[in-house]
Amino acid sequence: MLKTLRISFSLKNTYRVNAILYSLKQIPLLRCLLPASLYQVRGLKIFANLLSVLWELISIFLFKFIYLLTMVCGMGLLYQNALPRLSFLHILLFLTLIGSYMNTSLFNPTRDKYYAMILLRMNARSYTLVNYGYALFKTVVGFLPFTILLGLSRGVPLWLCLLLPFCIAGAKVSVAAYSLRDYEKNGYVRNENKLQKFAWLLAGVLLALAYLPPAAGFVLPFAASAALFLLWIPMGLVSFYRVAAFRYYREINQELLSQMLVQMDTVKKAAKTASEKAISADASITSRKSGFEYLNELFIKRHRKILWRSSIRIANVCGFLCCGALLVMALMPEIKADINEMVMTWLPYFTFIMYMINRGTGFTRALFMNCDHSLLTHSFYKQPRFVLRLFRIRLGEIMKINAVPALVIGVGLSLILYVSGGTDNPLNYGVLLVSILAMSTFFSIHYLTVYYLLQPYTAGTEMKSGTYRVVMILTYLVCYVLMNVRLPILVFGAACIAFCVLYSVIACILVYKFAPQTFRLRM
Amino acid sequence: MKFMIEHLSKHFEEKEVLKDITFTFEEGKIYGLLGRNGAGKTTLFNCLNRDIKADSGSVSLEENGTVREVAAEDIGYVLSTPTVPEFLTGREFLKFFLDINAASIHSTKSPDEYFAMMSIAPEDRDKLLKDYSHGMKNKMQMLINIIAQPKILLLDEPLTSLDVVVAEEMKQLLRSLKDGRITIFSTHILDLALDLCDKIVLLSHGELEVVEKSNLDSQEFKEKIIAALKEETYA
Repeated sequence: MLKTLRISFSLKNTYRVNAILYSLKQIPLLRCLLPASLYQVRGLKIFANLLSVLWELISIFLFKFIYLLTMVCGMGLLYQNALPRLSFLHILLFLTLIGSYMNTSLFNPTRDKYYAMILLRMNARSYTLVNYGYALFKTVVGFLPFTILLGLSRGVPLWLCLLLPFCIAGAKVSVAAYSLRDYEKNGYVRNENKLQKFAWLLAGVLLALAYLPPAAGFVLPFAASAALFLLWIPMGLVSFYRVAAFRYYREINQELLSQMLVQMDTVKKAAKTASEKAISADASITSRKSGFEYLNELFIKRHRKILWRSSIRIANVCGFLCCGALLVMALMPEIKADINEMVMTWLPYFTFIMYMINRGTGFTRALFMNCDHSLLTHSFYKQPRFVLRLFRIRLGEIMKINAVPALVIGVGLSLILYVSGGTDNPLNYGVLLVSILAMSTFFSIHYLTVYYLLQPYTAGTEMKSGTYRVVMILTYLVCYVLMNVRLPILVFGAACIAFCVLYSVIACILVYKFAPQTFRLRM
Repeated sequence: MKFMIEHLSKHFEEKEVLKDITFTFEEGKIYGLLGRNGAGKTTLFNCLNRDIKADSGSVSLEENGTVREVAAEDIGYVLSTPTVPEFLTGREFLKFFLDINAASIHSTKSPDEYFAMMSIAPEDRDKLLKDYSHGMKNKMQMLINIIAQPKILLLDEPLTSLDVVVAEEMKQLLRSLKDGRITIFSTHILDLALDLCDKIVLLSHGELEVVEKSNLDSQEFKEKIIAALKEETYA
């Protein structure tokens, strides 16, 4: 018994520690510092072990604390027409019922179970029972301090606070015993990550029962709540005996975990299938062009759904919003002055909006997943002149796609500015339109350039460049900061246009100089 | 024509995968590249194809007495997992490839003749490549690499996952193509290497060495190869 517990602990710990070390190795700067023999270094192992223990403690205490604090107490605070202790018990009771079948630990296919029982062929019954016992222990120990702390603060008597964790554990065991019985009778293996419709429906009903009646002032009386909780203790004890006596743990786990193996594979494939789904199967799509123009045209036409269509949809929404703003101004002329001032100084804000609506990342992703990832393995495709030619064609294409919403926003803003009272310097209209277009061009060039210079993916379509991630985060941060900047149109617009022109020139020079070397598959 | 590797080396962190390799491949031969798991066969191919940068060394071609650096278009590289652009049909991919290589392709075959050569059925020629089976994708990849008539053809475990019929077709094809070029074929299947290849080259301890057949019979030759491979120790 103890031996099983020790083995399963050390197994779980080992892979957690290795996972921590592995993720350390993924951080760009640390990667160079960490040795290849990383997994042997004692100091690092101790550090990772500490993190692993910390995680275990968090999983015992912190989550339960947050759960009680927000879902039970926090929501309870909203209800003024019910006694605090009654609403506390009422909500907790129904949430416990949901948890009893949604969070069983017995029917949760986890990686450590797979390693222990399938790969290492540990005895399924003793492994399951020991770990289940530990899970119940965690439930009781993890809940106890907080049912006392929060329960008492809501006026629940101490004796009940002390018993609540056992009631919760009892409910879990009872449902587990029922599910095991269901297996014995019907051969059905529950998987708590793949619930059936009925279970979701039940969860919805229970959730409604937990939160809706207290809002109307109706809560279960104390005696009823307490009785319904305490009932689970004897039921749990009887059920625990059944759980311990159950004989088919290997069968159950084998079925549960075989599904998981399929899942692990599907996660890998999911990204690939998702990108392949974006390819239109429309057989009427053809092209009359030749060479790279042919390739590009077919690519764009077959990916219309994720490129043009979404860009046009965004343009429609923007057009609609602009019309809305114009309409509001027509109906309420008094707000015109405010809007005028806003448009005159809020141009930096639109950097963030242009960032959000830009199709650049989607475009480069689709380019890689469905086109470059395969063609880059062919040497003809990597010839410098071809790389650059295709870059030019693609740049034109993505600029066109992004220009549509940009044009709508630019024209819309100019119109709003005009209707809201105009400006004494007509140059403002021009700068407004051009700077929005410049931003859109900037993002188009930016994403494509970064893609060509850093090419972050491996042949297995895995993202592997830390630098690429850093650049993406920086882009976001800069746009985010600009959101809070207020500058007159002329100042920001002129700066923006100048920057975009400069950036484009530099980006193109960099691509022409380096892309033939950098644009290849990562190993 | 000769394909010369000189002082090629590559290491990953502390592990030296290729150690100062110097080797010359000759025209018209199929070389079987054998090595234990992790010996560095794929790394060698990736270095030759310049998918990864070697630490040092050069690869060059000698034609009619003049030596020049190997260009990207000299090399055709067929990977074990076929990669084809999923959004094109077989015919479109072929057309695209013929278009952009028009200057260097001298053959006058029509696309359908090419498909027939690879025994890709007429009804499959206009299907999207994403719907092709593994074997068909492999044929498509091979076709592209053959049409370009690269001087050097690198094949990384190309037949392992094909059904017996397709594998046999491919073998025939490779034999018919070997004249005028250098074919380097990496595999784990010794019988396949012995059946198809003119020379057996071992990659062990980060170095390339030829196993001479001399006057051994095939069983003795096999034993010699295995003995040589067994010498690989893991430090």
